[in-house]
Amino acid sequence: MDILVWLENTFIANAIRTIPWLYPTFETGHYIGLSLLVGGIMLIDLRVLGFARALPLKSMIGLLPFVWIGFLINVFTGSMLFIYGATNFGPNRAFQVKMAFMVLAGLNALAFDLSVRRSGSSWVAADRPPNFVKGVATLSLFFWVCVVTTGRWMAYL
Amino acid sequence: MGFLEWLQSTWLGVLVAESLWGYPIFETIHTIGMAMMIGSLGLINLRVLGYKPELPLLDTRQLLPLAWIGFTLNAISGTALFTSDAVYFWDKYTFRIKMVLIILGGINAALLGQRVFREASAGAPALPTAASTKWIAFLSLVFWFGAVIAGRLIAYTP
Repeated sequence: MDILVWLENTFIANAIRTIPWLYPTFETGHYIGLSLLVGGIMLIDLRVLGFARALPLKSMIGLLPFVWIGFLINVFTGSMLFIYGATNFGPNRAFQVKMAFMVLAGLNALAFDLSVRRSGSSWVAADRPPNFVKGVATLSLFFWVCVVTTGRWMAYL
Repeated sequence: MGFLEWLQSTWLGVLVAESLWGYPIFETIHTIGMAMMIGSLGLINLRVLGYKPELPLLDTRQLLPLAWIGFTLNAISGTALFTSDAVYFWDKYTFRIKMVLIILGGINAALLGQRVFREASAGAPALPTAASTKWIAFLSLVFWFGAVIAGRLIAYTP
């Protein structure tokens, strides 16, 4: 727990506590990042599962840069929010479960990425995602909804 | 008793305000609906603005069901959250700004739909996008991201 106390007393944490608009700004940034990250991932996963078939699968998978921008925004804003209330968020059950879901969602995204690369993207070009990839897309939707849900729940524990 | 007070006293308002799970559940749904709407509308608007030109413009219509599901989820969850503390929300200027932005976003989406989809389906899908249509798409992004920002700031403003 010492590191949490230390984090909460860094100059960054103090700045967030002293400058009144900083916390709401990071929180708002976290929501914009969430929209890009989850909005983008959702479009890719749903397309893999057969939604909006007229839009080329390759272009939809090409939305990944947006997902990455959203992810980076949220790692940054999330870290700032965490530092501010480290001793409060660290032991928070909902936060711990959220981090676990983040790891699962990350590993799952890695599996998706590997299957795009390994097959030489043949199923991407042919627009025929194998069942394994459809499973990965379904899990991805599930994991990210869980990340959002547990994140929201942190305020209530 | 005014309308807002009555709203808070309805079974829905009391349920959301006082039950252990009511408020967080609707808040979570509101967040997921937001991602659905911003994701689908965002992509359509960016496409109109010239991003990913290989996406057939007319076919981005197929993303609209996702936007509608997100909108419906958020209209329902937003109403539920509002009824739990109607007087409080109505007093907030950020809440009012958010409502104005949603109305503008809605009008804007209708305009965009008329321009892009009806005109394109009328037989000129290869027509370059008019500058005025691009402005509508740009404003759409401003309105919806503005609604997200105003909504988040409700908790921090008088």
